[in-house]
Amino acid sequence: MLLLALSDAYIPDRAIGLPSEFKKLLNVPNKIGQVVLLGNCTRSYQFLKFVNDITSDVTIVRGEFDNATIATAQNLKEEIPMSTIIKQGEFKIGCCNGYTLVPKSDPLSLLVLARQLDVDIMLWGGTHSVEAYTLEGKFFINPGSCTGAYSSDWPLQDDVLEGVFNPEGQENGTLSQEQASPEAPSSSISNKQNASDEPKLSENSNSNGTNVGEKNEDNPKTEDFENSEDDEDIDEVDINGGCIPSFCLLDISASICTLYIYTFVCGEVKVDKVVYKKE
Amino acid sequence: MSYADSVEQAASVIKQQAILIQRNLAQRKLMDALKHISIMLTELRNPSLTPKQYYELYILVYDALTTLSQYLVENHPKRHHLADLYELVQYAGNILPRLYLMITVGTAFLQIEDSPREEILKDMIEMCKGVQNPVRGLFLRYYLSQRTKEWLLPDTQEDGNDGEGQENGNKKFNVEFIINNFIEMNKLWVRLQHYGPLRERELRTKERKELQILIGSNLVRLSQIVEDDLKLYCGFILPQILEQIVQCRDVVSQEYLLDVICQVFPDEFHLATLSVLLEVTLKLNPDVSINKVVSTLIERFIGYMDRQTVDIDSIRETFKKLSTQDSTENTGSGITNSGDLFFVFWNYLEKLCEARPDLPLNDLLPLVQGILRLSLIWYPAKLSNIDCLLKFTVKKCQENGGPNVTADSEYLFQDLLLSLSSNDIFYRVLTECDSYQKLLSLQNVGLQKVIVNCILDTIFKRNIRISSKSHLDKILLICQSIIKVNNIKFHTSPLDDSERAASQDDDSTSSLLNLEQEKLAQLVHICYHKSIEKHVELLLTCKSWLYKGGIQLRYTYPAVIASFWKLIHKAKIKSKLYSSRKTRYKQLSNQLFKYVSRCLNDLFNTVGVSCSDMIFKLNLQTAAIADHLGLSEISYDFFTQAFTVFEESLNDSRTQFQAIVNMAQVLQKTRSLYVENHYDVLVTRCTLYGSKLLRKQDQCRAVYLCSHLWWATEIPLIGEEEGITKTFYREGKRVLECLQRSLRVADSIMDNVQSCQLMVEILNRCCYYFIHGDESATHVGTKYINGLIELIETNLKSLKMEESAELKDDKTMKASIHTRLVIGIDGSFINLPTAPTATLAAVSHKSPTVPISSLVLVVTEYLQRTLKYIEDQKLVDDRFKAIIL
Repeated sequence: MLLLALSDAYIPDRAIGLPSEFKKLLNVPNKIGQVVLLGNCTRSYQFLKFVNDITSDVTIVRGEFDNATIATAQNLKEEIPMSTIIKQGEFKIGCCNGYTLVPKSDPLSLLVLARQLDVDIMLWGGTHSVEAYTLEGKFFINPGSCTGAYSSDWPLQDDVLEGVFNPEGQENGTLSQEQASPEAPSSSISNKQNASDEPKLSENSNSNGTNVGEKNEDNPKTEDFENSEDDEDIDEVDINGGCIPSFCLLDISASICTLYIYTFVCGEVKVDKVVYKKE
Repeated sequence: MSYADSVEQAASVIKQQAILIQRNLAQRKLMDALKHISIMLTELRNPSLTPKQYYELYILVYDALTTLSQYLVENHPKRHHLADLYELVQYAGNILPRLYLMITVGTAFLQIEDSPREEILKDMIEMCKGVQNPVRGLFLRYYLSQRTKEWLLPDTQEDGNDGEGQENGNKKFNVEFIINNFIEMNKLWVRLQHYGPLRERELRTKERKELQILIGSNLVRLSQIVEDDLKLYCGFILPQILEQIVQCRDVVSQEYLLDVICQVFPDEFHLATLSVLLEVTLKLNPDVSINKVVSTLIERFIGYMDRQTVDIDSIRETFKKLSTQDSTENTGSGITNSGDLFFVFWNYLEKLCEARPDLPLNDLLPLVQGILRLSLIWYPAKLSNIDCLLKFTVKKCQENGGPNVTADSEYLFQDLLLSLSSNDIFYRVLTECDSYQKLLSLQNVGLQKVIVNCILDTIFKRNIRISSKSHLDKILLICQSIIKVNNIKFHTSPLDDSERAASQDDDSTSSLLNLEQEKLAQLVHICYHKSIEKHVELLLTCKSWLYKGGIQLRYTYPAVIASFWKLIHKAKIKSKLYSSRKTRYKQLSNQLFKYVSRCLNDLFNTVGVSCSDMIFKLNLQTAAIADHLGLSEISYDFFTQAFTVFEESLNDSRTQFQAIVNMAQVLQKTRSLYVENHYDVLVTRCTLYGSKLLRKQDQCRAVYLCSHLWWATEIPLIGEEEGITKTFYREGKRVLECLQRSLRVADSIMDNVQSCQLMVEILNRCCYYFIHGDESATHVGTKYINGLIELIETNLKSLKMEESAELKDDKTMKASIHTRLVIGIDGSFINLPTAPTATLAAVSHKSPTVPISSLVLVVTEYLQRTLKYIEDQKLVDDRFKAIIL
């Protein structure tokens, strides 16, 4: 079962739309079984229609700029919950935008929430920066912003844009496990498997020149300098506070959850893979 | 001689006779054969045949006569002399069989060398005049044309010099012969229209159209003969044909024949004679669809570009050369290049309007669109052409009563306005041709909206960035119809095919979306300029235009604000890159914050309470952005604005709760407010508001979350690190106070399930702080935690008493098995499905109707999880061992 997690689209408030490469990847009906929108995704008719075309099974949690209600087929004013739970395979998956989480995006406070909801996987959003880690045997996933929308959080610096993920989170609960070092052996192993294991969403996902399983050690050049009359142009990613478009796809079967992280860097889609097993 | 009653009979008679003819010819009995032929040909005299039936019979007759023709040629002059035969057949009794025979013999004679071809041809065509019945005459002449097809005067002559004049002479004779036949056929064809009773006119027209190919074939023949002799065509053929077309004054004939001319002759001929052709269309019967005729010609020229392999410039050069023979006078339309194809058409358009002021828009518009397409292909970069045509349309449209366009021409305007959208020049048309907007504004509002939607889609699809203010003004002017919303009545968008209807609804809690406004908001994002100042100018333009939208600001202003935010960030990056301009960028970003503030005020004043939650959060985020830049005063100002909004217009208790917690989250990440006690003032107030929320469970949660305001945590992005950074804002005493306060609130809640749940939540909070530091720092120590656990367990005991006192009938037992509850982040009840297929939980704010036992289970299980966590922590952190479970 494929579960798609999208967050912080901010269309039309901060972004025009999804990168067309993402649209191409996702525009395959009957492949993805369920979509979770983790907040700030409900202000665009076009976006919701796109999501609805992927699958009609859409779960929404409320972000700070979502209305309290949304019009659905059954109910013109269906309330959008702050947090909810999805059962899939042997997993219970908690979903929450986390804008009422204090301190924001703090692994320990996320852990507290995961414990309160009694879930194995915690999906959250709001930071516009993709991350995934395990803590206390639970799997924490933030798909980032699917449009790379501007974030009012502290701007990310260039060196944290690399998007390297540590599948084995540190068990002792320290705060530094969000971004693992690129040398982590487990992540490079999973990279090698990518080319064959990536779920085939569409035929052209490979032929299209998307960079499946490319080494993510490549330092993306986020700045594209061009000379102009008086100034150099500033790259859009930098203006957006370093946010790059990204989303997550969870392939869940029984007690194994394979996470695919799609990022859009320098005009190319990159895919990373992390496997999580329920203990 | 009489003829058969039905077509079938007639056909069988003809077939029968054909067999006899063949037999006779095989036996070389020519005279007998001729007799049978006469009988056969009699069938073609039947007046009751429809043109279609006549055609069927004609085909049979033609085949039979072909055998005769072959026989005649093969046996000349051994058994007979064709000259004699030609004389002989004159004695046939009836005129029709006589003429068919004569043509058969005559054309056979043509194939013989040294025969007096010219005389024979002249004689035959002269004799054909004898038949004046339209159908019979048409077929007879068609027969003549078919038979003479290959046996006109020889084209090429062996001997060089002398042959030159001779050849031209022959060609000319042949052409004349065909034209003559053509003119006569056309006359017959036109006359057919007036045959029979008046009420059968339409039937006649239908029949005529069935026969049209007979007349058209002559023009095809001409095109084959003329080859590439342009002079012959211009000077001799075309004038005669056109004269006939004009003179016949017949609608069917004129439409068809002009169409055939356009189709059969080469492109180059049309280019050379374009003005003559166009001139003719002005003299046609008023009922002729000029648009259809000219469109064919335009299609021809558009296709011409594709058929050519050379580049556009040389094609235009060819045209210039070809058209020089043609003198087109200048009517002062502003375009003076006479070698310009567009000019010729433009000239024509003006003349047409002068000559035919009655021409309806429905006829004129496709013509304009055709010329537009032509111009786009022939002169892709020439904006003035497009502008001319649009201006012309505007004028015509105004003459015809402006926006009161009838519904049937609406689609024509839509086609015209959108026909450009697939072309690269579209953006230039939008921004440089004023007439485009004028024409658009003349349409009714509904149509305007449809068109504007398409325009915006095109702009987005082309990834256009607007970087000039004048362009932006033009585009926004075009979008006016969707910016200004006068009627706020419910209306469904034409694209609406989903349950999420795009609507205009000013309901305060409206969750309906508006596609048009969404596109306007997206428009803000495609404004871009390298220079921040110029970009600001663009945004201010957007802002003032969008301001006209009134209540719709709630859809569009957030985009404007976000764009200002981005510019603030850009200014910061730039000031790092160019340190010499630091002060300028600082001023600039201060100014930008003011713009944001202005937008927020506009939003609040125009839209009001219905979007106050959004305004609250926009204020918070702007405050955070200012804080990141170290602008404590600005940041403080936006925080106080947020408080004002909170106090004045956030009424709903649930909205208040999430707003205050959201504020705590933002405040906890600020770093610049420590000066002048700002931070203290803000966090104290935030906590105070938290403690004053309506519902106790909200109070409790808000206050324990506010405890984090006195416990700053690391932000790695700015180089902070736990254990290394010493300057964290931390006051353990206040943390403990908050926790104690929320515990008191939890304890005072009457619903003891709620109460216990909140206490376990506080216990989890305590664990958080316990991990973060020693009791000396956090003031949250083992003693406090032990006490809390004890309290919870005591409370649970009394809950369990309640549970055991509960009547346990089967129904409630079943219900408890089928529900699996947890409490969500905001205290909502999340009801997990127990069915294996169901995936999504039901979330509700109301306490679900389940037995108390399952509610108790919620809390006890939560406590179990928490205690297990503490137990696990003992393995990695010795300090946890002091907690007694």
